[in-house]
Amino acid sequence: MLALQKHRAPLQWLGRQLFNRDDGVAFFDPLLERINPMWVQEYTPARVQRIIRDTADTRTFVLKPARRWQGFAAGQHVNICVEIDGVRHQRTFSLSSSTTLWHEQGLVTLTIKRLPGGRVTNWLHDQLKAGAVVGLSEAFGDFLLPEPIRPILFIAGGSGITPILSQLKTMAVQGFRAPVTLLYFVRDHDHAIAGEHLENLAASHDLLSVKVITTQGSSEPRYLTDADLGAITDLRSRDVYLCGPQGLMTLAGELLDARGVEREKIHSTYFAAPQTDLCSQDLGGKVRFARSNLDVDSTGDAPLLEIAEAAGLTPQHGCRMGICHQCSCRKTSGTVVNRLTGQASGPGEDTIQLCISIPQGPVALDI
Amino acid sequence: MKQMTEAQLSELEQDLNAIRNDVLADLGERDARYIRRIVRLHRTLEVGGRVMMPFGFIPPVFVAATAALGLSKIIENMEIGHNVMHGQYDWMNDPSLHSQTYEWDTACSSESWRRTHNYEHHTYTNIIGKDRDYGYAVLRLSDDEAWRPRHSLQFINYILLSTFFQWGVGLHELEIERLHRREITLKSKLPFLKEFFRKGGRQAFKDYVFFPLLTLPVAPIVLAGNIGANLIRNLWSSTVIFCGHFTQDAETFTEEECWGNGKSESKGHWYLRQLSGSSNFTGSRWVHLLSGHLSFQVEHHVFPDLPAHRYPEISERVKAVCDKHGIHYNTGNFARQYGTVLKRIAAFSLPDRLRARLPALNVGQAT
Repeated sequence: MLALQKHRAPLQWLGRQLFNRDDGVAFFDPLLERINPMWVQEYTPARVQRIIRDTADTRTFVLKPARRWQGFAAGQHVNICVEIDGVRHQRTFSLSSSTTLWHEQGLVTLTIKRLPGGRVTNWLHDQLKAGAVVGLSEAFGDFLLPEPIRPILFIAGGSGITPILSQLKTMAVQGFRAPVTLLYFVRDHDHAIAGEHLENLAASHDLLSVKVITTQGSSEPRYLTDADLGAITDLRSRDVYLCGPQGLMTLAGELLDARGVEREKIHSTYFAAPQTDLCSQDLGGKVRFARSNLDVDSTGDAPLLEIAEAAGLTPQHGCRMGICHQCSCRKTSGTVVNRLTGQASGPGEDTIQLCISIPQGPVALDI
Repeated sequence: MKQMTEAQLSELEQDLNAIRNDVLADLGERDARYIRRIVRLHRTLEVGGRVMMPFGFIPPVFVAATAALGLSKIIENMEIGHNVMHGQYDWMNDPSLHSQTYEWDTACSSESWRRTHNYEHHTYTNIIGKDRDYGYAVLRLSDDEAWRPRHSLQFINYILLSTFFQWGVGLHELEIERLHRREITLKSKLPFLKEFFRKGGRQAFKDYVFFPLLTLPVAPIVLAGNIGANLIRNLWSSTVIFCGHFTQDAETFTEEECWGNGKSESKGHWYLRQLSGSSNFTGSRWVHLLSGHLSFQVEHHVFPDLPAHRYPEISERVKAVCDKHGIHYNTGNFARQYGTVLKRIAAFSLPDRLRARLPALNVGQAT
């Protein structure tokens, strides 16, 4: 990687001299894109090959990234970038395919559930068609299988199954070499993502056992119990992987703790279902200034510029009335309300004007 | 400037905010498609111009190449760079069209431009002593400034400024007049100068060294064409900008009018000042595009961060608001408006007593 950067330094220099940008080649993107969208250089393009309907509200998107994409390890996520009504949106999703599919066919899959009110997931379900091109980031995340392989217990809830699907499929290709158990909590059987696929996997691999548990099957909701854990052989020798809604994660954490499973053996990844754009006007919240490594509380009576200044920072600014955009900066997460329009931003990465943005809940900024 | 009560100013503010909010609510795919089309046009012209230039030993090709490169620089500076840096397209969340990272194809660095133009000029528009864009510290354009002998040759200065406009703009932040008056030290300007040499050097290297040397046998032709393209851009952008605030009826203001009695200026008053201090000119679609829609300087100054291609469609509404409040909406054809600019430069090169005796040189505000 370092060698790559060294190799690129002269190119970057030339890009700045000739095109006033570090990624000089991307200067030609507007033209390249018209010829073939897969030639775009600014981001890694990926073409949608196929879209498969999994359940009523879940679809799997089969993508073919440009060859320069660097691949992934089972359990990692990617950001995808789509343009909706002129606005670029980035969202994080887990890859759900085996690494073999990428190595052999150059394909990856994302299994995405429609979130009520979610701008991006609904658009992906309703508007994205096979043949279209989306932007793809390199894979990231440390929700990775143990090396060398050890006995594993997976506990998944709802669409939290997606990174685990990738891991199970990858292990299935290589052959299971240690006992693996999956406890998969779903509302009802219609909501089980890849239910049939999981059953087939379990049927053809002796070391894999899959238990799909429906939470809304009877009159009383059925959640994870101590008995579920009690039924796992050699629980304490296993690495435990958790992915699902917050409630399930907390409950599992407590029950595993009670059974004496060591903390180091528990791996979890939050698929933080983004807070949908509901705009209750409860303003204020914790503000994180990431680059300054500073956290402060706010009460909702001041814009971020004043909050930053009160915290001793000196962000670039100008008119302090929303005209000049000198104070525009990157918000990496959280929702802010524009005090001129009263409108709330989306929860994801975004550009905001500090002088007119009031936090609504926790906000993280790249300053 | 028209005298208005606080209540009237507040009504003016609401009327203009209503126009702004309607445009904001409607921003989307149409605007994204527009600016991307312009970016493609720019890339096509620049690539075309640079490729043709070495064949400039054929006279018509030389003319075409120089024109293409000149047009590409005009479009990049006026319709893309200037407008992107105002944050007009920040909402698209596209890193290559973002106000804080965009770097444009001219000697002035984006950072310096955002300070002197977005902040100083757009906040303190036409306030004598605060808006250093009024006369660029070189020209005397109103009787707010006392006549000095050096002003008698200012028409020559104007022509020099227009010819080398990119360097004038690049050095604007040096505040040469304040250095001269010893209000600031050269040492305090060292960081700025470093930035100026970095960016200005880069621009000179590209057009006057790199591309000529790349095609060595025809280097003089390429050099001549590149100088020509820069000259075309300099003359045109200077002319457009002078038509924005120095026409006959464009008013100037005093600090006292805006911050009298130590109170801060209301948004309504700021709007009034923008409306009275700016001037439009009429023309074809291409004239508007090549002026970066600064032919709608009035609309630009009340709404600097709305996508500029929207100005033509809201101009009727802005004019209606002006009519309603009895504010002069300053517009006219290009020749008339530019004629009054030249007259103003000539008129104020003369001592006031002499100017008063020449009715042909009577300029709007000469009171």
